Amino acid sequence: MTTTPSTGGPSEAVVQDFADMSAVLTGFQSSFLRPFLDPTNLSFFFYNFAVAQPQVGQSMMDKLLSTFDSLKAQTPALTDQQIADRLLEVGQKPSNQAQLAQSIILMWYLGSWYPPAFQTDGLQQVVSSQAYTKSLVWNVAQSHPMGFSQFTFGYWANQPPSLDQFGVNVPPGGGQ
Amino acid sequence: MRKFATIILLALAVACRREMPVNATDTTSSATTTATTSTTSTTGSTTTSTAASDRPPIVLSSKIPGDVTEASIPPGSDRNQKLLLAQGDFDIYSWNTFIALNWPPGPDGNGDPNKTIGQNGDNDTVWEHYRDVADIFLPGGAVPTWNGPEPNVPPECKADYTAGTRIMTQVGKTPNLLTVSENLQPFKTGPLIDQNGVFTRFQILVNKPMFDYILSNTLYSKAGQQVFSGQVKFPCGVLNGAEGAIMVKSAWKVIDPSEKSNFHSAQVLVYTPASTNPKYPASCKKQTVGLVGLHIGHKTNLGPQWLWSTFEHIDNAPSEDDVASGKLKAKYNYYNPKCPPATCGANVIPPRPWIPNQVASFHTQVVRMNMFKGGSEFAFTSAAERNADALKLLVGVNPNSVWKNYELISTMWPTNPGNGKCQASAVDTLGTPAPSFLANTTLETYIQGPPLAPNVSSNCIECHNNATMTVGSKPSDFTYVLQRAK
Repeated sequence: MTTTPSTGGPSEAVVQDFADMSAVLTGFQSSFLRPFLDPTNLSFFFYNFAVAQPQVGQSMMDKLLSTFDSLKAQTPALTDQQIADRLLEVGQKPSNQAQLAQSIILMWYLGSWYPPAFQTDGLQQVVSSQAYTKSLVWNVAQSHPMGFSQFTFGYWANQPPSLDQFGVNVPPGGGQ
Repeated sequence: MRKFATIILLALAVACRREMPVNATDTTSSATTTATTSTTSTTGSTTTSTAASDRPPIVLSSKIPGDVTEASIPPGSDRNQKLLLAQGDFDIYSWNTFIALNWPPGPDGNGDPNKTIGQNGDNDTVWEHYRDVADIFLPGGAVPTWNGPEPNVPPECKADYTAGTRIMTQVGKTPNLLTVSENLQPFKTGPLIDQNGVFTRFQILVNKPMFDYILSNTLYSKAGQQVFSGQVKFPCGVLNGAEGAIMVKSAWKVIDPSEKSNFHSAQVLVYTPASTNPKYPASCKKQTVGLVGLHIGHKTNLGPQWLWSTFEHIDNAPSEDDVASGKLKAKYNYYNPKCPPATCGANVIPPRPWIPNQVASFHTQVVRMNMFKGGSEFAFTSAAERNADALKLLVGVNPNSVWKNYELISTMWPTNPGNGKCQASAVDTLGTPAPSFLANTTLETYIQGPPLAPNVSSNCIECHNNATMTVGSKPSDFTYVLQRAK
């Protein structure tokens, strides 16, 4: 039995930084996006997918992560919401870097790449089957994607697990 | 988007899962503990080195592990290192399970601690004394027994049948391969025909705890399943304690008696029921068969999705890389190295008609697909290291042990198993399995992984999560065998 392991890709530190930034942008915990044992490795694949996009590239991703690192290091410390607002340039006309941050959010929530406005030759595409089945939108909807279910057969006869069980922290009175 | 979704920590008990293991077995010998520590460079390439650790070794023991022993993972380990180390725990568990299940049994069917696996080359095994599911789900929903003779010996087999003789009927991993439309099969499948044109046979057996659960809950019959009001919950194995429900799926090829030194073998009755379309008569032949594939599912506290260990004969088929590089053996059980790809396509389902009691002109050209690429390479690395450790032990018992001819392909396990007490998470019933694909080339020949999605390919857990009892009934706890009730 001989099979050659594949090699290459960003370092662990870079992938973790990307997961940490993604957590701030999406509202999910970093340890959920990149769990202790992470066979799916979506952070790695999403990072590579974005970097490989025409008109995005390594330099824009590096700058976005650098901005995130700077915001994270500020004193007094910014809240996650404040960091996300700054990355997304809320209230301003978003720069290319902020548009990239928007596309990263959509990639996590929907498993697809939605080209930012500046990416004139970009294509909307599903990143992978696992990106689709692991999309965050299903957790928020307490549901599962079409064609795949992580629930047990017959689950539809019962109330779905609560948002809490899905890991969503709902404010008192319900969320938006 | 974070205004409507703030995720709290999700069931990452795995993050603090590791404690020093208790190493309590009736060890007669053990492999050198070679826990792998890997380092990943900035380019992502992985190198490995070995170091002493708290990982328990593979042992020559008749004791079936009740569960996996999880050792510690050093702080600061990266993603690949963590998965490689954790996979190692499960692969050690798999080899210890393989050794115990293939241990020579005593009169009670359990492993005899006074004997050793392979000491005489080959030996009778514990799991072959488990109950064949064909003898559990009987016509009319009759009550099955754990011991005793074959309850339904076909007329064609009666002349050669003696008590204890096994009758092998199944052609394909699914029992109804020949009689049910391909549209109704759970996955893309077909018979596996060896290089002699002979159909491979399959057998599914369950251990006593699983049998007892089926019996005590009357799940062996459709009528019993209909009145069963609870949730099917097979017993879980306990670390350093009792084994849980175990299901063994085996694949066998007819061999010449002169090949017995290369296989674990048995004399069985190979039975083929009659068919009208295509038309052929029933037949029953006494033949020598060699074990080519062994798939072990075990439900445990740390694996309520079951732990799936799969082993194969080392000469079954070359890998994709072997074929590409031309590094081929002279002979395989299921691959002809002299036949060019244009003539012998890889993993092509045999054309119909399928007539299992005739020699076929079509031979399945099996190639092991690289199912671990794209992020599960740790599974390949871990299995290779554990195989080397186990080989040393088995050859140490007897250089002519037939068991040296078997290798672990990998173990599929849940990275997010639930509460660690036999209960999966309600929102992640599947437990996020690793590796993403795991195929045995004899049992999942035609669905070995990418590009198919895991749940319609060789992901043991995702496929078995769809299992139910008889039609219109309830989930059956990751086993399809209850669908065979009559």
